[in-house]
Amino acid sequence: MERRNFLNVTLGALALAVVPASVKAQDYRATKPAVWSAHTVDDALKAMYGTTDLVMEGVSLTAPDVASNGGAIPVDFSTDLDIKSIAVYQDANPEAAVCAYTTTKYSINKYSIKIKMGKSGTITIVAEGNDGKLYAAKKTLDVALGGCEG
Amino acid sequence: MKVKAKLKNGVIKVKAMAKHEMSTFNMMEKKTGNREDANFITHITGTINGETVLDLSTSQFLSKNPIFKFELKGDTFKKGDKLLLSWVDRKGGTGKGKGKIK
Repeated sequence: MERRNFLNVTLGALALAVVPASVKAQDYRATKPAVWSAHTVDDALKAMYGTTDLVMEGVSLTAPDVASNGGAIPVDFSTDLDIKSIAVYQDANPEAAVCAYTTTKYSINKYSIKIKMGKSGTITIVAEGNDGKLYAAKKTLDVALGGCEG
Repeated sequence: MKVKAKLKNGVIKVKAMAKHEMSTFNMMEKKTGNREDANFITHITGTINGETVLDLSTSQFLSKNPIFKFELKGDTFKKGDKLLLSWVDRKGGTGKGKGKIK
């Protein structure tokens, strides 16, 4: 058992050493598959960041109060914080994660995207700060006509 | 994929649209009875002059034919440079598009 632990630790350390120190673009689909199958926002946050502690400041989020068409809800979000990723979650669909951007050194971190929501719910934007904190904004909206065909 | 990029006051504003059904698991279960028929874009990347400028992992909850906008710092790039965007979907399909920075 001890030997196995030793191996795990060593392999883990090696894997860390291979990743360059600079923040590199990554495909969260490949590196964090659990995020995309999580059914609740909390589970997705845990899979993505290892914590659900959110600081509700620094991120701005604009979405309609009432979405007439749940198939294409415009969501605008931005932040001026120093971040390494920013992601969109919601609690109306079977799975919680919508999309996740890895920032690059060219990013201004101002995004617009259209999303689907099956029913009324809350959108959560989470910006992962380079200081290790999770900054977030939430918006609850009514969806008149669900966008996932039921 | 349609890509429009405009450089103004040091900021490149990008607007893009990918043509894709973006079908969810539930949608396909109703339609064909097989959840595994669901297909949607899972990852989108963007480059200018070989530099990665956009890296976006996505799920089935983007709208059909998703339109998205983002902004970039323009000081490294100039008008006439090409922004290349490409996507991969769940079934391994790919698509791409490019737009000149205007």
